[in-house]
Amino acid sequence: MSENISLPLVRVEDLSVYFPVRGGVPFARKKQVKAVNHVSLCVPKGETFGLVGESGCGKSTLANAILGMVKPTGGKIYFKDQELTALPPKALRQARRDMQMIFQDPFSSLNPRFDVYRLISEPMLIRGGYTKAEMEARVVELLGLVGLSADDLHRYPSDFSGGQRQRIGIARAISLNPEFLVCDEPVSALDVSVHAQILNLLMDLQKRLGMTYLFISHNLAVVKDICPSVAVMYLGSVMETGVTKTIFRNPLHPYTQSLLSAVLDVDVDSRKQRIILKGEIPSPIDVPAGCPFCTRCPKATDRCRSEQPKPVLAEPGHFVCCHYPGPIEAE
Amino acid sequence: MTDKTMLKVENLKVIFPNAAGVVRAVEGVDLTVREGECVAIVGESGSGKSVTSLAVMKLLNSPPAVTRVDTLEFDGRDLRQATEKEMLDIRGKEMAMIFQDALTALNPVMTIGHQLDEVFIRHQHMKKKEAKQASILALRLVGVPSPERRYSDFPHELSGGMRQRVLIAMAFACNPKLIIADEPTTALDVTIQAQVLDVLKNMQREHSTSLILITHDLSVVAHMADTVYVMYCGRIVEKAPLKELFHRPLHPYTEGLLAAVPRLSEENHQFIQIPDAVPNPMHKPAGCTFHPRCRYCTQQCRDKMPPLQDMGDGRQVRCWHPLGGPNLTEDALQDGSVGKEAGRYE
Repeated sequence: MSENISLPLVRVEDLSVYFPVRGGVPFARKKQVKAVNHVSLCVPKGETFGLVGESGCGKSTLANAILGMVKPTGGKIYFKDQELTALPPKALRQARRDMQMIFQDPFSSLNPRFDVYRLISEPMLIRGGYTKAEMEARVVELLGLVGLSADDLHRYPSDFSGGQRQRIGIARAISLNPEFLVCDEPVSALDVSVHAQILNLLMDLQKRLGMTYLFISHNLAVVKDICPSVAVMYLGSVMETGVTKTIFRNPLHPYTQSLLSAVLDVDVDSRKQRIILKGEIPSPIDVPAGCPFCTRCPKATDRCRSEQPKPVLAEPGHFVCCHYPGPIEAE
Repeated sequence: MTDKTMLKVENLKVIFPNAAGVVRAVEGVDLTVREGECVAIVGESGSGKSVTSLAVMKLLNSPPAVTRVDTLEFDGRDLRQATEKEMLDIRGKEMAMIFQDALTALNPVMTIGHQLDEVFIRHQHMKKKEAKQASILALRLVGVPSPERRYSDFPHELSGGMRQRVLIAMAFACNPKLIIADEPTTALDVTIQAQVLDVLKNMQREHSTSLILITHDLSVVAHMADTVYVMYCGRIVEKAPLKELFHRPLHPYTEGLLAAVPRLSEENHQFIQIPDAVPNPMHKPAGCTFHPRCRYCTQQCRDKMPPLQDMGDGRQVRCWHPLGGPNLTEDALQDGSVGKEAGRYE
């Protein structure tokens, strides 16, 4: 919350992740996929930080970089004031114990040949230092926390529905009491009527265990409800970031505006004016010079095409990366 | 939209027998689609919505599927009697399908132009050159930029939204009377979803095609449909015109689904949830299939499956205690769980 300024748990400074493109013309300059391009953000402790954007905008790569699963090309990541990017591998592994991840698809993230006990106890087994009895007690406790029962201990993932599988995934993620949890689209693979159950569970666990979430989603209505602060990404860059309420009430970047207006509402009476973006997201191999959004922006000028905008503080708790922030007319 | 009936299905049943038992995927579905109407079938995974659409097109492989239907009339023809050879002429020409995942629906080793040409050559007996012209025109109509160049692209060279447009172009190629779109935008991003739905809506209006839209996303339904069927566990639980359904749902499942959609325009800090999950189709609960998850459930619901009853204004509901409805039973009124606030879930 903005009232009590909390300390950042995770801080990302000028982070870039580039992947080399294989093949191409011999001796020509190697191309790169610029998945994350000079991103800076701050995840306050005990809060849920939302990361929104379309597929291919680099949200998952950013999360993977924070968790140490991909090596950043440049920039710094701080976790609890420790610079992760400068740590030797052994110390990094130590630091990563306090960060865990919930995956999108509970059908592929659980080994079908492991029973629930083995799935949830595996992190403890890897860390070591637990007796068998301790592990079993902990697994039963975790099952209770996520709304499953001890009877499920020796059942296999195939016996469970999608929502229950995601609960197992959550139990596994919190088994080592992490401080920081990355939720990568935790509900988008589930049935609509189960979404609310899993989201409520995540919020409840956060309250009880005091975890910090990085919540990746493309569902803006969900992000609005559970994330006090948010960053909108496009083509590897953050377009707009700050307090969610402020941004959703007064989006200043043309991309945020069109993203918000593209969300279909269940309201059948109001036919709201929508900004329909022309064209598609450019390939991250050839990111446009200047503003990444300039190829689809209705307001783009020559300045946008040549000069990359710097983040500007538009109002308290609201940064925007645009030369001409402000509303655009819906067509 | 006219009053002419384009598709009429009565008492459709599809079962899949297997070694462990019988999966009753669709249990007695009635469906009517008028000319130029957009009918949405809403339901979660396993509710039988896709099987219904495949059965209408006679695309279900038998075995394993066993299909029974009392009436299957398309544009005045009885499709039950149609042979596979006749169906081959009907599919693609008079009724067409748009699948969810365009990457698997398109052949990866053929250019999209070649695949579009096939439709024209097969159904309109065009020459190769004419077909190419027709394909390029079809691509232009759905808003594919520089269609002459795209014509010789392979599916993997196009983005998700473009591939979906190609599928739409293919479905509308022969100006069919009925199109079935199975989750046409689920695999797409929000901004692209808005584009593709607009294309689909415009094409449907211009050609006054009947459209069956299969989806789990109520916001897509709100944007597209004229009439909505809500399916749960292989049965239709509610049928209503769009606005009536969204303003005043009669079935507790519809009410729950509507309440569970997070809205951009409202503030809420707790998500409204429907308890439990969709039951296993092999072991459906006795009585009303929704009763274990229903907060208005009574003994009557546990014992007996309610019939699909007419509620006037083109509405039908399968519930013993429709929300705010007239036929509340004594015991439901006594425990005060019914009819208090019909519009809101919690």
